[in-house]
Amino acid sequence: MSDLAHHDVHESTGVENRKLGMWFFLSSEFLFFGALISNYLLFKGQVPTTDALHPVQFYDIPFTSISSFVLLMSSLTMVLAHHALHEGDQRAARTWLFTTAGLGLTFLAGQFFEFSEFVIKGAGLDVLPVWSSFFVLTGFHGAHVFLGVVMLLTLFATSVRNGELSEAQGLNVELVGLYWHFVDIIWIVIFTIIYLIP
Amino acid sequence: MAENATMPTTKMYVRIALLLAVLTGIEVALFYIVELTAMTQGLANPLLIGLAVAKFLIVVGYFMHLKYEKPLLSRTFAIGAVLAGGLYTVVIADILLG
Repeated sequence: MSDLAHHDVHESTGVENRKLGMWFFLSSEFLFFGALISNYLLFKGQVPTTDALHPVQFYDIPFTSISSFVLLMSSLTMVLAHHALHEGDQRAARTWLFTTAGLGLTFLAGQFFEFSEFVIKGAGLDVLPVWSSFFVLTGFHGAHVFLGVVMLLTLFATSVRNGELSEAQGLNVELVGLYWHFVDIIWIVIFTIIYLIP
Repeated sequence: MAENATMPTTKMYVRIALLLAVLTGIEVALFYIVELTAMTQGLANPLLIGLAVAKFLIVVGYFMHLKYEKPLLSRTFAIGAVLAGGLYTVVIADILLG
């Protein structure tokens, strides 16, 4: 994969253009999620935490902790996929890509279950502004995870169809990996700021 | 691929993941310590934020390979992180100062 650098390196930066573009995109995503998290923090303060409708009264920390653990471990499987491809082990790369997608889907299923529980217990988009901001924030994060799963499964399908991932597709694995790890670090922030700090 | 040739091995990636799992466990334990003991939220919050920052840096540095990449990429990423951090600071200051 390091040979790719010869094909697509920006003359003045020495970094692949697509890779540099991905880092710029991820940097801008910080502000996107930063705005959504700030929005939640502002609305959270408007309702006392002792209020029966405050999100803090709804959170299931053990369940969300397991979801967080699943997403964290998907970062490990993602980096192992990338590492296996770098080592030329196509079969292992394919397996790890599929495992990562599976862990992503598990996280999404957990989020769907959590949202359903909240709605059954009386939460909703139009119940309180803090709930709107919660669902928008975690929903957008879930949408990012879903997009990541689609990209992972596309890479997996390409690998199965062609029997291997080419060098060019190897760069795609690296870019999808960067995106996937970013989704993970955003969840690290969400889990602490939204769930663990009342 | 990252610039530096001395990339982590599979064993090292697994060790890093275990460390991340342990840090997450400590975070959750801290949450319950506050719930069940006299430990104040004011004491726990900086610890929780510190643990989250540590996990964040580990993932970015080792899994995203930023530790091994050209400084240009670190600076690019830092711009967004610093601006988002500034936004949090302003919001939290606004909440604390009423």
